[in-house]
Amino acid sequence: MNSEFVIQTQDLSKAYGTHVALEKLNIQIPYGATGLLGQNGAGKSTFLKTILGLIQISSGEGQVLGYDVRTQGELIRSHVGYMPEYDALNPGMDGIHQVKYSGELLGMNPIVAMQRAHETLQFVGIGEQRYREIESYSTGMKQATKLACAIIHDPKLVIADEPSNGLDAYSREFMVNTLRLMVKEGERSVMMASHLMEDVERVCDNIVLLHKGKLAAQGKIEDLKAIDKEIEIHVWGKATQLEERLLSDGFKVRREGRVMRITQDSDSIATEILQAAADVGSQIRRLHEYEASLEDLFVAIMENLGYNVKSSDDLLGNPIAARRVDAPEELKEG
Amino acid sequence: MARDDARAPVTGKTRLQAAWGSNTGDEVEDIGMAALPKTGEIFNQDYKPWTGTLNPRWMRNWAILRHHLFGVFRKGYRPWGMPTRIFLVIVFIASLTDAALTLLSGILGSPELHQLWGVNRNNLYGHNLGFFPRNILYYPIVTALLVGGVISEDRHHGTSALYFSRPISRFDYTAMKFISVALIQSLIILGSYILFYFSEIIAMGRGWAWIVDTFPIFVAGLIAGILLIFTYTSLGLAMSSISRGRFFPGIGLLAFLFGSKTIAAIISGLFERDILYLLSPYDCLAHVGQALVGTQLSYTQYSWTWSLVSLVLMNGAALYVLASRVSSMEVTRE
Repeated sequence: MNSEFVIQTQDLSKAYGTHVALEKLNIQIPYGATGLLGQNGAGKSTFLKTILGLIQISSGEGQVLGYDVRTQGELIRSHVGYMPEYDALNPGMDGIHQVKYSGELLGMNPIVAMQRAHETLQFVGIGEQRYREIESYSTGMKQATKLACAIIHDPKLVIADEPSNGLDAYSREFMVNTLRLMVKEGERSVMMASHLMEDVERVCDNIVLLHKGKLAAQGKIEDLKAIDKEIEIHVWGKATQLEERLLSDGFKVRREGRVMRITQDSDSIATEILQAAADVGSQIRRLHEYEASLEDLFVAIMENLGYNVKSSDDLLGNPIAARRVDAPEELKEG
Repeated sequence: MARDDARAPVTGKTRLQAAWGSNTGDEVEDIGMAALPKTGEIFNQDYKPWTGTLNPRWMRNWAILRHHLFGVFRKGYRPWGMPTRIFLVIVFIASLTDAALTLLSGILGSPELHQLWGVNRNNLYGHNLGFFPRNILYYPIVTALLVGGVISEDRHHGTSALYFSRPISRFDYTAMKFISVALIQSLIILGSYILFYFSEIIAMGRGWAWIVDTFPIFVAGLIAGILLIFTYTSLGLAMSSISRGRFFPGIGLLAFLFGSKTIAAIISGLFERDILYLLSPYDCLAHVGQALVGTQLSYTQYSWTWSLVSLVLMNGAALYVLASRVSSMEVTRE
């Protein structure tokens, strides 16, 4: 096992009869925070069950924290904290005893479990509300209690399934900050499955993107986005001439009407663009760096490719709907 | 800044800063104070690691058992409903009727009363397997109330994820749920049975000779009682495992127990065919119990082993349903 990775799979496949839920996944998830992304039915839940050692894989191999997913499921679940997406709390119990019980189910001594339950509930911000029955909790408090249940034994890896789902702005902010704090201060690894790209982007350094049971993309978010850094310009007049000039100068240009995106490959690119515009007599009304958001990447993968992404050039191969501007008639040449 | 605010937290930091601070004196004072918590804010989110060790499997199983068992008596464990708790107390007291009357007959020195209520073959059988009132008003309803939500509510509330994301196997989960419910019934049925037997020893001053004579009958009655608890529990938990609510498993169990007996009785009355009693769990239990304890058999034309085989088949089918349903319980989604 390579200690560099918290989760590692080699050609991992899972089939239910003829339906292939996971197909030859080769995933390496480093320590730290990782977002698990994918549309409904992409195989996220199956993947989570697989790495928790709950279902037998059809072929391939996988290790979580160095434990084999085939044979060491119980050990994996002892060292991993899982926060389910759906309600997983008994509404008739109070928060403190619910979290304590979750610790006891891991094999914690009842006294130790109670002490840890207090600590973890304090950490997730439940405070004195811990003595209230869970049925009276808000959605945010329930999410926080589920997180407390997951981290009571201070696991090395926390798997959080839609942790900020259904939360109001304040609770969402708190949840995201809490997860970040666990990674930064607690030095724990977090795997976060979410549809809220913004939250994933704020918590995670890496992403794993699944689509139809296959690996669509994996790696550092920054790396994926950095490849696609472009300069976006809004042109008034002679856009075609400018495009041709930029192409002849060796730039990679994508154009949608009067909006162009030029791949940023040097620090002096802005000067060169302005010079080219001056030479052909075109006005640059707006010039700024364009960096694809995680959501852009996600949508592009899902809509354009689906899987087997080689680089993020592939992801953004099709023109993205660009903002159109109204230019004076005399300048509408290009 | 609220340095002079009476509600400000007393940290001593400001005073220390004034005395030992390394500020140049040129800074705006507010900047120096900015690191202090806001007035009245005492929440400090710190991640506290835990370095303890988790206990092995038996401790986790004991936690499940304790959670269900202690929930009958105390807060902080499984919240059994108040009607259930009240009914358990009523049935326990009602089940002690024979023990109380045995004590009374001893105190009064009334041989007639003792003959009616004291320990003998028929009364030992009747304590566990007598139809009215025990197996129509007491024990089936106790089982129905207990099994109602034991598994179905884990589906309903999603608390199955709490178990299966921990190092708890499906077998341990099912077994401990089974044992928990059976143990609560045992406290009532077998507990009162044992008290009944000992009340005879105390009230009537029985010696070793009597104990040696009656102990095999007592053990036979105990085995019959265990068989009754096992059968009711397995049927009830099978019902619970196929449901998401509390009502259906309870009412389903009662319908099956009483319905099968009623149909057998109707067929017997109309067509003089007794064989359908084999479909009735209670009739089979009674038949086997009568054979074990050595009282008069209800069905002399059929061997009691038929009833035993029927019970084995019923329990086998119920446990199969239970096992297959529990094995299909989801972790990531329910």
